[in-house]
Amino acid sequence: MAETATIDRPQLSLWLEKGIGLAFPFLVALLVASLVLLLIGENPIDVFSLMFAESFGTQRRIAATLSAATPLLFTGIATAICFRSGVFNVGVEGALVIGGLCAAFIGFTLPAAMSVTLIPLAFGFAAIVSAIWLYIPGVLLARYEVDEVVSTLMLNFVAFGITGYLVNGPLLSEISGNNVTPLVHEAAQLRRLLPPSTLHAGFLVGVALVVIYGIWTRRTPSGFESALVGQSKRFSSAVGISIPTTIVLVMVLSGVISGMGGASHALGQLHRFADGFSPGYGFTGMAVALLGRNNALGIFLGAVLFGALASAGTTVQLFSDIPLDIVNIIEGTVMIFAVVELGRITLLRRRSGG
Amino acid sequence: MEVQNAAHRDANQVSVRLGAEELSKRYGNIEANRDVSIAVAPGEIHAIVGENGAGKSTLMRMLQGIEQPDSGRIIVDDQIVSLSGPQRAFALGIGMVHQEFMLAPDLTLLENLVLGDEPVYRAFGAASRINWPAALESGERLAREAAAHVDWSRTVLTTPVHIQQFVEIIRLLRRGTRILILDEPTAVLAPQQVEDLFDLLRKLREDGTTILFISHKLKEVMALADRVTVIRRGEVRYSSPVAETDTDTIAGHMVGGLDTPVATARPTSASKIETDDVVLDVQMLTTPIVEKSHPLRGVDLHIGRGEIVGLAGVSGNGQNELVECLVGLRDSDGGTVSLAGQDITHLSNQHRRALGIGYVSADRRHEGLALQASVEANVIAGSQRKAPVSKGGFFDRKAMRQVAEKRLAFVDVRYGVLNDAAGDLSGGNQQRLVFAREIAADPSLLIVSQPTRGVDLVGIAAIHAILSDFRNSGGSVLLVSEELDEILALSDRILVMADGKIVGEMNAAEADIGTIGKLMVMQGGGDG
Repeated sequence: MAETATIDRPQLSLWLEKGIGLAFPFLVALLVASLVLLLIGENPIDVFSLMFAESFGTQRRIAATLSAATPLLFTGIATAICFRSGVFNVGVEGALVIGGLCAAFIGFTLPAAMSVTLIPLAFGFAAIVSAIWLYIPGVLLARYEVDEVVSTLMLNFVAFGITGYLVNGPLLSEISGNNVTPLVHEAAQLRRLLPPSTLHAGFLVGVALVVIYGIWTRRTPSGFESALVGQSKRFSSAVGISIPTTIVLVMVLSGVISGMGGASHALGQLHRFADGFSPGYGFTGMAVALLGRNNALGIFLGAVLFGALASAGTTVQLFSDIPLDIVNIIEGTVMIFAVVELGRITLLRRRSGG
Repeated sequence: MEVQNAAHRDANQVSVRLGAEELSKRYGNIEANRDVSIAVAPGEIHAIVGENGAGKSTLMRMLQGIEQPDSGRIIVDDQIVSLSGPQRAFALGIGMVHQEFMLAPDLTLLENLVLGDEPVYRAFGAASRINWPAALESGERLAREAAAHVDWSRTVLTTPVHIQQFVEIIRLLRRGTRILILDEPTAVLAPQQVEDLFDLLRKLREDGTTILFISHKLKEVMALADRVTVIRRGEVRYSSPVAETDTDTIAGHMVGGLDTPVATARPTSASKIETDDVVLDVQMLTTPIVEKSHPLRGVDLHIGRGEIVGLAGVSGNGQNELVECLVGLRDSDGGTVSLAGQDITHLSNQHRRALGIGYVSADRRHEGLALQASVEANVIAGSQRKAPVSKGGFFDRKAMRQVAEKRLAFVDVRYGVLNDAAGDLSGGNQQRLVFAREIAADPSLLIVSQPTRGVDLVGIAAIHAILSDFRNSGGSVLLVSEELDEILALSDRILVMADGKIVGEMNAAEADIGTIGKLMVMQGGGDG
């Protein structure tokens, strides 16, 4: 029984350590931003409190923050699920875009009479296509040791090319000018949670996925196995875990989540697919995953943080003479220091002998 | 020593071409080299022998300027030199042929030969044009001198290993190497190619090249070297002209005497082996020649129920490859492996485990454990899909904790809490943790490699007790160890492996260190 007492204490310190790890890049970013603000003669405290107010001050601002965080929940998990197995998948962006187009396609081509069944169909179709999309680099890595960084990065450009062609050609809307598909049927649009904000039901899907991800990592054999593969490939194969199977599994899961993220953004935010569908949600998702240390709660907080920065950025310069660039500086610095963790991951990959 | 005031001497009168005086090097707690002194005379082929981990590589790295000694001096041409880096050593004429060749795989042999020192038509810095005809001419001349035939237009990738090695050697010579260090050069070669290499080295010796030759194959040392130095556990144990010594003496110094106290005695003949009760049967197992590994050249062995079979051998003679083949982590290209009558030659590691093979890896830090993962994860790994750890696809956290605690208690692993990283445990406890996991799966056969490496005396005793208990309860064990004492203490039957084959077998009762040691270092006479 003395055992149980000792189990809790280190876990508390572990949490503390995790908390500091999560906050560290953000604190450094605030410091850097403060320096810049002082240099241009602004009071950092004033600016930060304005930014805080703009992202969390009122219910509407909170809704805007969560709305901006929504795609990052998906891309954060999609990235983390691969990173924790040591699979350096940078193709979430492309899979998200492909998923968005697939969902929109279902949403405006199938008959409107199908009503709300359009939504699960669109999500499912997007998930399947994006899963196949990332299955390809997964198999290439697992079978033929094709470097996943190169293959997934290149697939992003393929995704931009395909979707760009389709929205400018075959799927171009006849009534709304350039580079967009027609709007999806009203029944296929995700409900807005707090109108007039754009926060939509996709946020709830994202939160549900974060919870499922948390359960998967901690409570299931395959979550356990994929974490072990990330810790040590040689150990994992020596205890009978198939490395190729695990790699393909996490890539496919990453594709499913990316696809659903694309569907959520298409059906909930834009109600269509448009060229420039994602301003880099997949890449910000990498920062979110690294900042959150692949931990479910950490990813949620990381997504909200980047959502807050995005929503504060859009309004802060309307109400003050602070340049929008200060938000970019904070975002950039957070990413750099989150990437410090990324350096650690790639180092581990080398040491475990790839 | 009068070495210091030997300032101006003609190169011909040099007495020590390359030497080390009381070199010591320490990595953390491990003393890799302790007061190592050697002296290589000009035009001598000097063999350094010793087991893997004896400290040969550390010494070579220091002689090459890659590592700096903690104390001691390095001598080149009777002068004390400071080898600040590999470039400095290279400038002094020291060149090393590593086991892994330093050739660019996509370039041709000729390109590799001149790489870094290309003959040019007229020196214009970066704008100089390479004089390929001159390069080819110099390559042809060097090959002719060595009586070798080289197709210089092939890329390294498509060239056989022994030709690569040849190019590597003459590349160094072309660039002014006078002292050639070869790290186990014959490991990758077939017997005839070994002869060719030796002819080349003898010819180089005649031309005045000094050669330092690392090996653990005594037959080769006797055939080639002028002088031999034995390193064991970081110290020079023996040095003699080859003409004045014999393999038995060298072997004795290499494998050492009874300098590890052994805590457990061999159990009496309580466990009789039923010869028809064969658990593991291996026939004519072979593996392809792969770089950095020793191929198996037809291994035959069998292990009965309730029997510990010890596999002795100088490390690097195929033991690791055999172990990996048996547990399914390496592909074989011939022969069969069967477990309790079932052919498992082509089954995966996963499948073999399910059939009852347990595996204690020699590489505890990378293969036996995931050091950053928790003690719990390490002891559960492999059972994560089985009840009661997993129920209906989800973990039962409480049951998992109980299973982990039970397993850890069974072999008395000392740990703080289950969440501690496995890397935080001491070496002995880490190894017990590996045993805790492997034994819990209730295997019929345990394949155990170097179980007590880096483990203290108490840990050694505990691990030996675990193995004995396992055998006494009907389990079978293949015990691979570099510690002869360990093999003698635990085994019922002893096999000796050399050069990828089983070269000797004896009952433990009639085995002694001398006989085994001799079998270990004599290369089975070369009768295919």
